[in-house]
Order: sequence, then structure tokens, then C-alpha cells
Amino acid sequence: MDIIKIIENTIAAFFGIDAAYFALAAIGLNIQFGYTGLLNFGQSAFMACGAYGLGMTSQYFGVGMWWGILIGLALVVILGLLVGIPTLRLRADYLAIVTIATAEIVRLVVRSVRFKQYFGGSDGINSFSASFRNLSPFDPGAQYGIRPFQYSGYSLWTMIVGWSLVIIFSSLVYMLMKSPWGRVVKAIREDEDAVRSLGKNVYSYKMQSLIIGGVVGMFSGMIFALDRGSVQPDNYSRDVTFYVLTALVLGGVAKVRGSVIGPMMFWGLYVFSDNFLRELTKDKPFNLFGIGIIQKSQVGPVNYMLIGLGLMLLMTIRPQGVFGSKEEMALDGR
Amino acid sequence: MQAKFGDEVTDTNNSKSRVFAVGRAFAVLLAAMFMFSAPGNAQAADSDNSIIVSVQNQTNNNGVSEKKPVVGVKISVTDPAGIAVGEGVTDSVGSVTIPVPAKDDYVVTLDVASLPSGVTLIEGTKTVVNIVKDAFTTNAKRVTFFAGTSGESGASLMDRIAQRLVDGVRLGLIIAICSVGLSLIFGTTGLTNFAHGEMVTFGGLIAFWFNVLLGIPLLIAAPIVIALGGVLGLAMNGVIFAKLRKRGIGLISQLVVSVGLSIMLRNMYLYQFGGRTRPLDDFSLQVAKHFGPVSITMRDLSTTIISFIVLMGVAGYLQRSRTGKAIRAVSDNPSLASSTGIDTQKIIRIVWFAGGALAAMGGVFRGLDEQVGFEMGSGLIFLMFAGITLGGLGSAYGALVGGFLVGLLVELASLVVPAELKNAPALLILIIVLVVRPQGILGRKQRVG
Repeated sequence: MDIIKIIENTIAAFFGIDAAYFALAAIGLNIQFGYTGLLNFGQSAFMACGAYGLGMTSQYFGVGMWWGILIGLALVVILGLLVGIPTLRLRADYLAIVTIATAEIVRLVVRSVRFKQYFGGSDGINSFSASFRNLSPFDPGAQYGIRPFQYSGYSLWTMIVGWSLVIIFSSLVYMLMKSPWGRVVKAIREDEDAVRSLGKNVYSYKMQSLIIGGVVGMFSGMIFALDRGSVQPDNYSRDVTFYVLTALVLGGVAKVRGSVIGPMMFWGLYVFSDNFLRELTKDKPFNLFGIGIIQKSQVGPVNYMLIGLGLMLLMTIRPQGVFGSKEEMALDGR
Repeated sequence: MQAKFGDEVTDTNNSKSRVFAVGRAFAVLLAAMFMFSAPGNAQAADSDNSIIVSVQNQTNNNGVSEKKPVVGVKISVTDPAGIAVGEGVTDSVGSVTIPVPAKDDYVVTLDVASLPSGVTLIEGTKTVVNIVKDAFTTNAKRVTFFAGTSGESGASLMDRIAQRLVDGVRLGLIIAICSVGLSLIFGTTGLTNFAHGEMVTFGGLIAFWFNVLLGIPLLIAAPIVIALGGVLGLAMNGVIFAKLRKRGIGLISQLVVSVGLSIMLRNMYLYQFGGRTRPLDDFSLQVAKHFGPVSITMRDLSTTIISFIVLMGVAGYLQRSRTGKAIRAVSDNPSLASSTGIDTQKIIRIVWFAGGALAAMGGVFRGLDEQVGFEMGSGLIFLMFAGITLGGLGSAYGALVGGFLVGLLVELASLVVPAELKNAPALLILIIVLVVRPQGILGRKQRVG
């Protein structure tokens, strides 16, 4: 077993591009769920808005890649209104059901053959990132840095942009939550009726929070799409939202540092478990007392099983995660 | 095995016993998993990376689309530069698995000359498919080529509507069966259980285990499967959710726990069963019988009739029996019900048992209807949510009516929208209902708050 390799990969994962795009998605979800108490289970759809907004520019509209941000913003607003209008007046679990259903509609539509000419069907969209690639100051062929932090020029470029966005948005959210707007939103999480009695338009604040969180999620989808150089519909399934939620809960809900460090820990743990199990089963299936426990093809499911179990344990034992405080969790439904 | 732990739950040692609660749940589930692991282990041994190509001849028989495998078609896989990676010929089920060295970009080409005479690819189908690296969401990337004529031709509109109505009734009844438990659990405990779809999958997979791997006839196995489904429901409640309720953990927390449970169970099924969908042995090969414009297999006709009888039974039970009345009372107002001397926890246990059993039954029917796979239930959960929201969250009869209507709607929608999008209208209905009448058809306004 190559322990050095496992450790190297794990350390690299803490700062990798996956942690960066998860952190962006988690920052967005944190605005909605952590601060406002909106149970958005459709963050993957907001991420898809960004990715597809970017992908569709060059592929189908024939405009520059930067229009993708505007298209993405438009899509996010439409989506936010679509899920927000019917549900924001209702109880939290309605929003959860509707957002998850909407995310599923979005995924079905973008992967359908019928709309293939717009969204590329299940093949997705490729080759849209040229102008982003050209901006890179690094030589795309060369390797930069030393192990375990060794990246190709293009990966390094997406990572720098990704983590810069994380820093920008986490600072913005930090300031936003210190502002009067943030105080109102947090008050809504604690007691909606009290805020209403103070003459605030709760509905409008919730809608703003949903859309602002969606916009941050949109940038997450963009970074992901730019890094992969392609947009795949199945990368925006509901499970992505749940993994982001797990990462956020791990870090600590309603804390800016929780929403950044949570995803880093999530990917560190995930890559560790994945690498460890792959090394374990590399040559032959792993047996315990003669019973086959795990073989190569089962590594993926076992990783995700552990994520599910981790989410359950976190919510029962330490719902505030690593950095959160219990007082700041909006966890009462009825 | 660890039965001792749970019995000594005390309030002085909260977090520790909480660990045990979930730990025990995992231990039980692990045990259950390995229990049904023994015969099935070889199943998951798919090769590391591969492209599975299938060639299907799609024909339309009176509005029912049937797929027939096309045998002996030559398929080749090259890398983007055109260097051959592998090739193969489709087998008796029209499918060929071509191993590839890594998850990378490939080009899949169908040799048109090797198609049997009289078979042509559907207009607009490419003979060359480009696969990009990220398209490998699992180790095996599936590519399907469709031959034959596309679109529904031959049948008149009325005939097609009649056929869709029959299919819709069938699907609607299955959804209704699956979602009764979901709605009653919500009504009695307030929990929106995202793991309910996994209870449906449980039914399908255990039926597969009994029927295909152990060779027990389905008619004998089904009652056992349904009972086991009930036990799973009891276990979910007893080991996890009852404990959480007892500690006063909020409903949203419980909801997120159910999400974690759903992820865990689904991947346990994937771990054990593999990613393929497979048919049950019994009743799987049946020729559709024609009744006027409508064709249906005897299997589907039987499941439809049984579903209907079961649902009538459930409705009658809730309406007339003492326990049924108690369930409705708890569902309506738990604290009031408990103050009138109803044992709320007992009612909740009954609801979980019945909900799990009905979900497992739905899973068996769904497995007969389609095939058995690790995602069969999680694919239905959206329709179940749509159904119970339409009917009225928490209302017992609402789930029956709503689930039925949603199934009907999904099948009728496929007349208008492409089959791949037929679930979308049902989900849109969910959103529209929430705008127009959030309490649903049979729900009460005060619940929505």
C-alpha cells in the first residue's frame, strides 16, 4: 500500500479545485440555509445555470464566453422566482420538495434528446472555454509547483480563479451578514412573525436571499465547468446538492469559515477514503474472516455510503459541525 | 448483536447514546447487507472501465413502443486520434461490452453495413458517437443506437389515449401504494422522509434476491418481502427516528438525517446489486393481450387489480377500524389524540410498519412493471412527493388520490411531451398546486402555516 501517495493526494484535495467549487456552492447554500433558514435542495440547479449559461454562449448563441455570466444570472433569477414564488410563504419542507423537484426538471430538460440542440443532451457541451484559457498567464503544457501541489498550467489558472472567487464571496457574505440586511435575514430564520411585525417584507427578503445564494452557486457551476472544460448534465444531480450540504454541515452552518473549511475537509476525507480503499483493493478484493468485504468496483458506492452515514451522524451528534454554534441553527419545522 | 446498547438509553448520557443509536442502525444495516451478500457477491464484478453499447430496434405496436435487440452489429471504439481501442459484435440482447483502459475520450462507431437487412437506424441517429471523459459517471458508459421507425404511428389518437389511460392507472396505483406510508408518516410525526424511495427499492431488490438468486416463486416470496418491508420501516423508526424524536431533535434535522439515510441505503444497494437493472424471473416474459384498442399483459392487469384492492382495503381500514381511526386522529392532531388516551408512539410504529410494507409491495410491482435496480425507488420519490402534495400533505386519503392522479398525468403527458420528459409535467403540477392550493385537494388549510 502506497501510504505516501494517499497522504499526498489527501493533502492536495484540501486545496484542490473540487474543494473550491464546493466551497462556492456551500457559501451560496449557507446564505439560504444557514442564515435565512431556507432549505434549498436544488443548489445543483443553480450550479447548472452557471455551467450551461457558460456552455451555451459559444456553442449556440455564438457570443463571447463572458456573456455566459449574464445568461447565467438571468437563468438564476428565473429559477429563483420559479421556486420561490410558490414556496417561500409556506413551511420549510415545501421549499425542500419544490427545489429538489425543480432541480430534477432542470436535469431532465438539459439531458433530453428533444433539447439537444441547445443543451447537448447527455453528452453535454464541450469546447467553450477558449477565451478563459487564453487569459491564463501560465503555460498550459507545463507543470507548476512541487508535489503534492503540482498542477498543469490550466489547472493552476482555474484554481487561482476559483479560490479567488471563494475569498471574494466569503468576504462579501461576511460583510453582508454584518449589515442591516444580514441582521434582518438572520432574524427571519429565528422568528419570521416577529420580523413581520416590525414591518419588514419577509417574503422579499427570503427571495433576495434565495437568489443571492443562487448566484454564488452559479459561480460554483462555472468554475466546475471551466475546470473540466465540459458541461455534463449528470454532474448536476440532486446528490451534488446533498454532498454540498454535508460539506456545509461538517464545517458549520451559519458560519463563513464553516462554509469554506467544511468543503475542504469534506474533499480531504473523501479523497483519503477513496484512495485508501482503492489501494486496499488494488490487487485483490479485500476479505475479512473469509467474507468478501469490498472489491475494486465497490469502492465508489462505499465512499458514498460513508458520506450518507457521515451526514446522519453529524446531524444527530454534532449538528453545528466544526465551527458552528448550536444557537444559530434553524432546525424547527412545524 | 448490540442489543444491549439501546435498552440502557438514559437522558444523562445524551450524546453517547445518540452515537449508539445511529451506530446501532449502521450495525443492523451492515448485518442485513452481508446477510444478503453471500450469494450475490459475484454480481458486482463488472470490469473496471468499459463502454456498453446496445443496439435496439424500436417498433410501435398499436401505440406501445417495444424494443427488440439487434444482433450481430459490429461496433468499434477508437480514441479521438482514430487508433483502435477495441471492437465487438452485439449479442443476443443487442448489447456488447467493450473494455477500455481508462475513463477518457473515445469515439464509438457503428458499422452500418453490419446491420441486418431491413433494419435501419432511426432518422437523425448518428453512427458515430463521441464520448468525453466526464461522460463516465460510473465505470461503464452506456451508448444506445436506435433502429426502426421513431414516433408513434399507426394508432389513432383515441387509441393512444386509451392505452395511456390504462398505463397511467397502473402507474398511479403503484405510486399511490408507495406514497400512503410517506404521507401518513408525515402526518403522524411531521417527518418528510426522503428515504422512503429506498424502502420501495428494498422491496424490489429483496424480491429479486428471493426470486432470481434463491429461485423461490414470486407468489410465495412476495408476502415475505412485504413483511420484511414492514420490518425495515419499523427499524427505521425504532433505531433512528423514534430516538431523534425522543431527544427533541428538530424536524428539519430529522429531514436531513433522512437524506443521509437515503444516500447511504442507495449506495448500499449499489454496492450489493451493482448498477445494472435486471428483470425478475417470474412473469417477466409475457405477451401483451389486446382488449379493443388497449394492450396489456396479464401480469400488469393482475398487479393493477391487486393494487386497487389493496388501496381500497387501506382506505376501508383507515375509515372503519379502530386503529385506522386512531391513525387519522394522530395524523390530524398528535397532541390532542394523545390527550384522548391514544398511544401515539404505538400508532406511529403501526404507520411505519404499514408504510414500509406498502412501499415494499409497490417495489415488487414496480419491479414487475419495469425492472429491478438500485435507483428504482429514488426515481419514484419525486412523483410520490408530487402525489402527496397534490392530495394534501399528511392526509391519508390525499396520498391515494394524489398519487393516482400523478401516475395518470405522467402517462398522459407522454402523449404530448417526449417520453424522457414525461415526469416533468407532474413536477410542474406540484409547483402549480403550491401556488393555487397549497393544502392540496384533501388537505386542511391550517397545516401549511
